Amino acid sequence: MSNENAFLALADFLIPAHGKMPKFSDVCGYADVEKSLDFRVDLKPGFARGIAVDPGTGAEARLESLNKEDGEAFSAITTIAIATYYMSPRVRELIGYPGQENVPYDSKATQIYLTNGSLGHVIARGRKYRPTPGL
Amino acid sequence: MTVEVLADRGARARRDEEVDVVIVGAGPSGSVAALHLARAGISVVVLEQGEWPDYADYTGARPEHELVSTKLWHPNPNVRDNPNDYPVDTSTTDINPLMFAGVGGSATLYGAQWMHFLPSDFRVRSMDGVAEDWPFTYEDLLPYQLEIEREVGVSGLAGDPAYPPRGAYPFPALPMGSVGQRGALGMEKMGWHWWPGSNAIPSEKFGELNPCVRRGTCLTGCPEGAKSTTDRSHWPLALKAGARLVTRARVKEIETNEQGLATGVVYVDANGRDRRQRAKVVIVCANGVGTPRLLLMSGGSRTPDGLANSSGLVGKRLMMHPFASVLASYEDPLDSWRGPFGQQVYSLEFYETDESRGFVRGSKWNCMPSGGPVGVSGATGSKVYVAESGRFQDFWGANLHENVARRFGHSLIWGIVGEDLPEESNQVVLSKDLVDSDGLPAPQIVYKVNENSNRLLKFNIDRCLESVRAAGAIETLVSTPVRESGWHLIGTTVMGDDPKRSVVDQWGACHDVPNLYVMDASTFPTSGATNPTATIMAVALRNTRRMIGERRNQKVA
Repeated sequence: MSNENAFLALADFLIPAHGKMPKFSDVCGYADVEKSLDFRVDLKPGFARGIAVDPGTGAEARLESLNKEDGEAFSAITTIAIATYYMSPRVRELIGYPGQENVPYDSKATQIYLTNGSLGHVIARGRKYRPTPGL
Repeated sequence: MTVEVLADRGARARRDEEVDVVIVGAGPSGSVAALHLARAGISVVVLEQGEWPDYADYTGARPEHELVSTKLWHPNPNVRDNPNDYPVDTSTTDINPLMFAGVGGSATLYGAQWMHFLPSDFRVRSMDGVAEDWPFTYEDLLPYQLEIEREVGVSGLAGDPAYPPRGAYPFPALPMGSVGQRGALGMEKMGWHWWPGSNAIPSEKFGELNPCVRRGTCLTGCPEGAKSTTDRSHWPLALKAGARLVTRARVKEIETNEQGLATGVVYVDANGRDRRQRAKVVIVCANGVGTPRLLLMSGGSRTPDGLANSSGLVGKRLMMHPFASVLASYEDPLDSWRGPFGQQVYSLEFYETDESRGFVRGSKWNCMPSGGPVGVSGATGSKVYVAESGRFQDFWGANLHENVARRFGHSLIWGIVGEDLPEESNQVVLSKDLVDSDGLPAPQIVYKVNENSNRLLKFNIDRCLESVRAAGAIETLVSTPVRESGWHLIGTTVMGDDPKRSVVDQWGACHDVPNLYVMDASTFPTSGATNPTATIMAVALRNTRRMIGERRNQKVA
């Protein structure tokens, strides 16, 4: 089994199709995975060990084995899978995530808590601090 | 002249030159001291083991943000594994200390939550019979707090009844957002205190700081240059005033003469060579771990237990604010990836002692957005919501999609900061086998969360769950105490009047070495329960003003 197929099998077990959401390999290719690894070169050794686990066993058994015996490899496989998936523009569109966006605002706009009375309730409940004069 | 040109000019140290003051560390307190000393015409060199931040390295606006920031901008130096940081032996601590080496210091990765300590924080012994009172009061410090706020560019709303009356903040409070409004709703339903967040993030253009655009990535470096850190708020002014800053300069020893007075420091430069910076006065601003580490590494054969340590208290009484978090999900969309991240709302409802609760002192809560889909999945990254015994399948497969659908964009996090009481058994010592990239001994943290903190956190978590459920939460996840939460490093060179029971006096001067000062949170006798940066910078300003005023009386070598 190639590195590509070995990883995609694990990733599709971790992130299967569910409801409106696609499985990993429907929206991410191995080139995306390699790009993610270039951002996190520290994960490459663990990733390499993770995809080298005996391909004769199923994805769940391989992940179970990694989780118990090589936490670093398990972490590398799962981190790359989930981060790559949620970087996909299609996935972001489906979950309504524009990324960490720029949201302009008017700094002088009156905030709702000043007009709906909620902050007034806090003030009306009175002083909270303990004064310390003379201590 | 640009900051870059000034910074380059400042880095050219002159061989064998004795300056008036050398400062170790260019974080919040060191930057305040450097600016005000330079403005007073005092010659200052600051040695910083890290580098100037490159804002292009902050990934907040890029798709790979969640992948990259969990390594490159992780607050734990052991995870970041950057040679500019020193490693920390965390094998004997319940909480990992978090910090960052660079111009701006650990604030580079802070949430910019800007809170004053409260009056009772300075009178803990008198009011609650525990720990020690501070040598000065809330009222003594308030003028410096307000002056620092103007230098930093703080946004907030005055009038909070949890504090004595104070003046207006320099800038209007940042927008609260849906997250803050939902957090406030729960508090309002319970009839508890809440207040719009005050943050070291100007809501309008201020000097080198740009207005916040609610990117929500404060904790991993602000790509907008909107979060106030001293590389932007203080250093451009300090360099213009004549202060000199040497980066990649790791101080390994404070030198003293036979009279026990400081004569300067020895540091390792960017090329790995030892250099000496002579100075009439030495100020250490290296945080609650780095400062005692340096004192313990200094002193030589004359003081084998470390410099300024006749009290035996250098490194002891470490406080790190045991921290819990409650993530609450709601049916309604909250746009919970949007900032400001630090605090949209805070609460001081349970700040003061109530003996009926079974513990002394109290807590501060802050309401934050929950961030991107990877973080809220619980499947990887910090794993703060994943039980060690949890099956991995619980967080993957269909469960991953369902967890993200329920939490992403629909959740908030209440952070609960508990006051940490000082105990001598909680301490910083030098590791016997771990060293930094220059071969210097790493600090080792010996720290246990005490019973008072455990009770405090349990009480507050229970109350927090009541609040979020009152506002309609459909899911809650609790993490306590969060291991990766030691942002606040306090107490390891305690201030006081008695040289046998303290390391420095109320002005930060070491009892044993009168021309050696500490001006970071190491000197705090108690920790309060608020984020300490505001108090750190205010105390540094108070100490610096005193130093300037008393310069002719300063004993020097």
